[in-house]
Amino acid sequence: MRSAALVVVLALTCGAAFGQGNSVSEAVAVCSACHGKDGNAVLALTPSLASQPETFLVSQMILFREGLPQVPAMAAVFAKTSEQDLVDLAAYFNKQTLKPGGQARNAEMYEKGAALSKRGSCGGCHLPDYRGRDQIPRLAGQREDYLAATMIAYRDSKRSGTDTTMTGILYGISDAEIKALAHYFAQQK
Amino acid sequence: MTLPRSFAPLFASFAAFAAQVACSSISLDQPKPQPVVAPVAPAAPPAPPTWAQGRPDSMARSALAPHAPVLTVTAAEKIPLDRIKVPDGFKVEVWVSGAPGARMMTRADNGTVFVGTRAIGRVYAISDTGGKREVKVLASGLTQPNGVVYKNGSLYVAAINQVFRYDDVEKMIDAYATKSAQPVDMTAAFNLPTHQHHGWKFLAIGPDNKLYIPIGAPCNICEPPATNAQIRRYNLDGSGMEVVARGVRNSVGFDFHPSTGELWFTDNGRDWAGEEGPQDELNRIGKIGENFGFPYCHASGIVDPDIKKPDACDGVTMPVTLLGPHAAALGMRFYTGNMFPAEYKDSALVARHGSWNRTQKAGYDVVRVTATPDGKYANVTPFVTGFVDASANTFWGRPADVMQMPDGSVLVSDEQNGAIYRVSYGK
Repeated sequence: MRSAALVVVLALTCGAAFGQGNSVSEAVAVCSACHGKDGNAVLALTPSLASQPETFLVSQMILFREGLPQVPAMAAVFAKTSEQDLVDLAAYFNKQTLKPGGQARNAEMYEKGAALSKRGSCGGCHLPDYRGRDQIPRLAGQREDYLAATMIAYRDSKRSGTDTTMTGILYGISDAEIKALAHYFAQQK
Repeated sequence: MTLPRSFAPLFASFAAFAAQVACSSISLDQPKPQPVVAPVAPAAPPAPPTWAQGRPDSMARSALAPHAPVLTVTAAEKIPLDRIKVPDGFKVEVWVSGAPGARMMTRADNGTVFVGTRAIGRVYAISDTGGKREVKVLASGLTQPNGVVYKNGSLYVAAINQVFRYDDVEKMIDAYATKSAQPVDMTAAFNLPTHQHHGWKFLAIGPDNKLYIPIGAPCNICEPPATNAQIRRYNLDGSGMEVVARGVRNSVGFDFHPSTGELWFTDNGRDWAGEEGPQDELNRIGKIGENFGFPYCHASGIVDPDIKKPDACDGVTMPVTLLGPHAAALGMRFYTGNMFPAEYKDSALVARHGSWNRTQKAGYDVVRVTATPDGKYANVTPFVTGFVDASANTFWGRPADVMQMPDGSVLVSDEQNGAIYRVSYGK
């Protein structure tokens, strides 16, 4: 929870830096405080933005702005940012190289995650190598803690994304299964 | 898809509902005990997301998936207006842009056009003063507030199961927008199912002064809960619910026939049962409570390959006409104006949002349906086209609704570009 609070504080602090004629590079600096300079996040529960599809990044920023889901700090940041800046930010982070975290593989969790992913056809939308496309995020190499927390939020209808697919597919899944999926996706290159 | 636990015991066919929910989960662990009144469904089979339900194994690697919505503003000058085609004598112009996700439209007495959306969660108020239009956000942060209808000073908004009434709405746009005024929350009175998939609404108030609300099937193909796959009507306060049509998979457009007052509605055919169908439908309710076939019988009598029962099409009302494979026929209204040529009078204009579950793109246009008032001798002709490039198999626009203006021109909303076009004739 401490890191989540830190995110809020940083975002609030930095929110004022947006929308005052600053260039995208300055906006990137604001994002970098939490998401890492090259889009490789080092803070717990914070997603890496590097190599994410541009449409996904833009859609998420707009949805945060609109309060879907309600994360006041992020909404405040994006409310002051022009849509062109959002598009430019998405292009910037899309072009960054994702550096996998290098956590050790847990064979049992990995195999369980692989089986769950096959069963759920996760690779159908996220593509077989989980690199994502259009509005569908990259899962490969994403932070494991963030993946797990986000899937739990989808399962519990705390967020939905641009459609209702994730809420539906994760219905009834256990925390342990979500952790296995997160481990499997985070281990992908 | 979310299981509304507190309402669950109320569902008459809870077993079917539980089975459907189970099919939406990928869990490998033992299911947790559920507060059910019927036995828990057997272990879940492998489960695709709702939009992929019914996909045959042979198409498991299909790259077909719903198209991404555009949530950003598309500037008017970026809209390729010259690619829109209308019949000779008609003219098309950008009426307004800058309303991302614009879908269902309704017009208030003093000319404000209210517009619903899905993913972006907004309801727009578009004022029209002396040819100058301004887009304001009346409401935001709602869950898929597609359904909007205006009557006697009030705007009704449906967002999945939530229903709000914005009284004196044209005078209080800024007050609602800044949240210094709150709409009347009528959600409890309407008591609509909370399923999000196919849960977005279209609204109309009939000649009987009742509010008509569709409740889609929460799946591509399934035995729907008894609360779903129907069109209902209510008194405007949410009382007096009646089911006016059953076996309706997902209607996102309807209107009352100008001479009979009967409800005609579009309905979207199921996915993953072939490139050519089952086609979308235009239906007519001749008798309250009629059955339109879902999930057993589609289109003009196609028996479902997955959900079977004997004599699947017995007692099923057949459509007035078919509206194309996977074309996504959404908003539909009858034309009653005097601006267009006489042959347009009483014909149905249908916005076809365009296909995703089809290799070659279909729809992405507005078609005109002529038929006799009893729904016979239907004929479908193109009206507004040019949003799709057939040779490149690409699209740039997605019509979602049509609405007649007092001067007889017709507005067409384009969800993809967040724009509304005005189609006029003559001059």
